[in-house]
Amino acid sequence: MLTRDEQERYDRQIIIRGFGLGGQDKLKKARVFIAGAGGLGSPVATYLTAAGVGVIRIVDHDSVELSNLNRQVLHWEGDIGKRKVNSATEKLRKLNREVKIEAIEEMITEANVSQLVAGFDLIVDAMDNMPTRYLLNKVAIEKTIPLFHGVVHGFEGRAMTIIPGETACLWCVYRGAIPEEKFPVIGVTPAVIGCIQATEVIKYIVGIGQLLTNKLLIYDGLNMKFTEFRLKKNPNCQHCGEPARSKK
Amino acid sequence: MSVRINLPPTLHSFTNNQAVVEVNGSTVGECLNELVRQFPRIKPMLLDKKGRLLNYVDIYVNYESAYPEELAKPVKDGDELYITLIIAGG
Repeated sequence: MLTRDEQERYDRQIIIRGFGLGGQDKLKKARVFIAGAGGLGSPVATYLTAAGVGVIRIVDHDSVELSNLNRQVLHWEGDIGKRKVNSATEKLRKLNREVKIEAIEEMITEANVSQLVAGFDLIVDAMDNMPTRYLLNKVAIEKTIPLFHGVVHGFEGRAMTIIPGETACLWCVYRGAIPEEKFPVIGVTPAVIGCIQATEVIKYIVGIGQLLTNKLLIYDGLNMKFTEFRLKKNPNCQHCGEPARSKK
Repeated sequence: MSVRINLPPTLHSFTNNQAVVEVNGSTVGECLNELVRQFPRIKPMLLDKKGRLLNYVDIYVNYESAYPEELAKPVKDGDELYITLIIAGG
C-alpha cells in the first residue's frame, strides 16, 4: 500500500495510462541490482530512485576521480577520493529517502557475483568492461533474473533487454574477447543510454509497453539516429543454449 | 547483385567519408571483399590475417543479425548490410 505522501510524490507517473497505483506499488516492492556507479550507473540509479523503486543495491569498487566528472553525474567535485558507492548513496538518499539504497564496495567477480545478486528481481548492467558483463549475463541466465544491458563509446551507445529463457542473451552474439582500451565518452551518451535502461526497468516492473528484447538498439548521437537490429536466441549459446542446459 | 554496405561513423575515414558503399556479391563475405577491394585500408579494421571477422565486428543484413558464420550468409540484390563495431564502455 502506498502512503498519502507517496501517492502525492508519484502522482504524475501514477496518472500515466496503464501505470496507476498498482504500478507504483509494484515499483515499491521491486529490488533492483545496479552493477556500476559510473557513467551509466548514475542516470540509472537517479531515475529509479526518483521513480520510487523499493530497494536498490549498487555495487562498485572504484573511487571518484577528477576525470570521472564529465559523465558520472552522481559524483561532484567535493567527492573526489570518496568511494563511488558512498558518493552515489549520499545523493540518492537526499533525492528520495523512501528508497532503500544498499551500497556495496566490491569488485564483481566470478566468485561473488551469485551472492551479490541473490534476492534481487532485476540486474542492470552499468559496467565499463565486457568480461564483467558476461559474468552478469551468465548469472542472470542461471538465476532467471532479467538483465538490462547498456554500453557506450564516444557519442554512440547500445541497449538491449534480456529475459532469461525467452530472449537472446549477450553471449548469443558473442564471438570472442575484444581489446580493452581507455574508451572515449561524452557525458550525454551514458545519460541517453542509462535513461533507456531505466525506462526498460520501469516498464518491466510495472508490466507496460514493449521491451527491447531480441533487439539491439544502437544510438548514434553524432547523426542523432536510433537504429534497431533484430537478434535471435543462439541454440548453441554457452550461456542460454543447449550446451548450458546439458551441463546442468 | 548490388548490396549497400552501411558503415559506422568510426570507419568513414577509411571510405573517403562515405557512410554507404555499394558493392556486388552473393554472400556477406563477397561483399566485404569487394569493399576491401575498393578501400584496401579498411581491411585490418574488419578482418584478421586469415580473412576472419575480427571479434568486435558485428554484421546485420536487413537489420537482422547475421551471426554466426556471417561471411557465408547469402545476400541478394537490394539487401542492406550493416557493419557495427562492438563497444564496451560504461
